[in-house]
Amino acid sequence: MKRSRGGATDLSVQLGPLRLKNPIVAASGTFGYGTEFLPYLKLADLGGFVTKGLSLLPRRGNAPPRTCETPSGMLNAIGLANVGVEAFLDEKLPALRGCGTAVIANVFGETREEYVAVARRLNGAPDLHAIELNLSCPNTEKGGIAFGVSPPVIREVVAAVRRAAPGLPLIVKLTPNITDIAVAGRAARDGGADMLSLVNTFLGMAVDLRARRPVLDNVVGGLSGPAIKPLALYMVQRVYREVGLPIMGMGGISGAEDALEFMVAGSAAVQVGTANFFDPTASVRMVRDIDAWCRREGIRAVRELTGTLQFPHGAPPAPCAG
Amino acid sequence: MPFDTPAAVVRHESLNRDHFLLTLESPSIARAARAGQFVMLQTRDGTDPLLRRPMSIFRVLPGRSGRFQILYKVVGRGTRYLAGQPVGARLATLGPLGNGFRLPPAGTRPVLVSGGIGIAIFPFLVETLAKTRRRAPVLVYGARTKGDLAALGFFRAQRVPVRLATEDGSVGVRGFVTRLLEPLLAAPEEAAQLELFVCGPTPMLQAVAALAARAGAPCQLALESQMPCGIGVCLGCVVRCPGDDQGPMFRRVCTEGPVFRATEVLL
Ligand SMILES: Cc1cc2nc3c(=O)[nH]c(=O)nc-3n(C[C@H](O)[C@H](O)[C@H](O)COP(=O)(O)OP(=O)(O)OC[C@H]3O[C@@H](n4cnc5c(N)ncnc54)[C@H](O)[C@@H]3O)c2cc1C
Ligand SMILES: Cc1cc2nc3c(=O)[nH]c(=O)nc-3n(C[C@H](O)[C@H](O)[C@H](O)COP(=O)(O)O)c2cc1C
Ligand code: FES
Repeated sequence: MKRSRGGATDLSVQLGPLRLKNPIVAASGTFGYGTEFLPYLKLADLGGFVTKGLSLLPRRGNAPPRTCETPSGMLNAIGLANVGVEAFLDEKLPALRGCGTAVIANVFGETREEYVAVARRLNGAPDLHAIELNLSCPNTEKGGIAFGVSPPVIREVVAAVRRAAPGLPLIVKLTPNITDIAVAGRAARDGGADMLSLVNTFLGMAVDLRARRPVLDNVVGGLSGPAIKPLALYMVQRVYREVGLPIMGMGGISGAEDALEFMVAGSAAVQVGTANFFDPTASVRMVRDIDAWCRREGIRAVRELTGTLQFPHGAPPAPCAG
Repeated sequence: MPFDTPAAVVRHESLNRDHFLLTLESPSIARAARAGQFVMLQTRDGTDPLLRRPMSIFRVLPGRSGRFQILYKVVGRGTRYLAGQPVGARLATLGPLGNGFRLPPAGTRPVLVSGGIGIAIFPFLVETLAKTRRRAPVLVYGARTKGDLAALGFFRAQRVPVRLATEDGSVGVRGFVTRLLEPLLAAPEEAAQLELFVCGPTPMLQAVAALAARAGAPCQLALESQMPCGIGVCLGCVVRCPGDDQGPMFRRVCTEGPVFRATEVLL
């Protein structure tokens, strides 16, 4: 590893066709459409941010209660509420002109055709740097099972979107609610993904004991926050070894050291989600703290950290340890 | 514009078994705050509890002290940790957030209706009404029992007429605040000159909103909700609102509220 002799750390990272000024990206569903954070930070200080998931038509989402706090985490069942791709292009994206960071549109659909239609609409949009496909959405044509749990479906959807938006770097976001996430990663790679992001939220629920009812109106929700960090780190490490695409890792990242651990485990960049809720400046502080950490450790370019995990016995762990 | 600042605890008093009055110093928040707004307040270092807690701004202290107060009740883990924060501690505080109350027209009599800890939102409104030369308000205040009534001293000092109701009858009339409101709203010509400002548990909001609708009195409700972010990005805090043939609409309590007209929401 190169040692620096003073001077600024090179924080830039390259993920396939996408270059980011630093490895910190705000995650979908936790950063609105970007402008909501302008009172607290400069968007230009971030490597990038991902919009709330966009569908073809606006969606109102689930009935409340939609969220519930859990030990070091939270459950959400927002129901993919969003303004729809047209309003995003007409109102949200123009407000981001010149914001100085990579704007990534998160895309989902209830059918393969909807994914394709949204991606086609976004292709060629000015000031848009990439799209991220959220594969955790229920597939209404397959009885509501998420797209991201079936490798053939993943390959198909990714390939179709790839053709619909040839001009945009394509990030495929994997669901962790699958037996072996590496299989999903390979399917996304085979469909033509430029890079992967992982993980989305883990399915979970909370019970109101006194009422003997689920806390969430939707019953089931997605778990995020520090509680999921070890699960996510393990999955990033595994996908890094098994798939060979650049990775944006995430899951509970709340400080610079969390972010750096994800990089060592194989992430080229990381996303920050739930931390934006309890600390709206967490993301930009991480950029500064990563810079400081690299200087202290004598690391000149942060990208050198990616995948530097040393296995104690020279080999990655077996998928199952007890 | 809201600010995210570490606010210093400059005073922290226990009012009774589970009610506390917290004085925080943050000049930027104190200066920008309006009645009905809230802050997202860290209760403890670390990740458990993970999220900040929404708390109404009880009062902004006069002068240039840059201080404001929070009145809170211990109901769970977060508020219990908050109660242990000593003078000198710095708590990450985001605010002021949300839309405050819309002030009533000059000739209208404001009727403040509080249930339980909902009282915390009203002192700031009382001071704002006085400053803007609105008509003097009356307070209708209900709680489970005498010991759950807080901040009465403030309203007395401000010469706000207070009518009390307790469920156990330990002070005031026995029963719910609606028993006090019904006679107030009974005469239609008087009801038309009143505006209700309501904060409390959902069943109370429902009952008061129904009375107001029947009497034709305008009514603003300050809602509570689980709020992960407080700034409109998580979409977690929504309230059901009248919709169309596709079903109800949802609005964010944090940024589109927490104060709504009673006719805007379905509770
Ligand atoms: C805009 C706004 C302003 C508020 N202002 C004040 C204030 O000035 N003073 C004050 O004491 N409280 C206020 N609250 C309520 C306060 O935020 C909650 O009491 C607090 O978050 C509880 O945290 P906890 O960790 O102690 O309890 P938790 O452990 O989170 O919860 C304890 C119990 O209370 C229930 N609960 C928690 N929060 C709510 C809620 N918001 N609505 C309904 N049930 C809930 C939980 O389901 C649980 O049963 C306000 C809430 C909002 C949304
Ligand atoms: C309230 C909320 C809404 C989310 N919405 C989306 C979404 O629209 N699309 C998506 O791909 N991921 C969404 N996510 C998942 C996050 O982007 C992220 O993958 C997950 O929360 C794990 O990271 P974290 O632990 O840092 O939050 C959402 C998460 C939360 C908490
Ligand atoms: S609390 Fe997050 S949108 Fe209201």
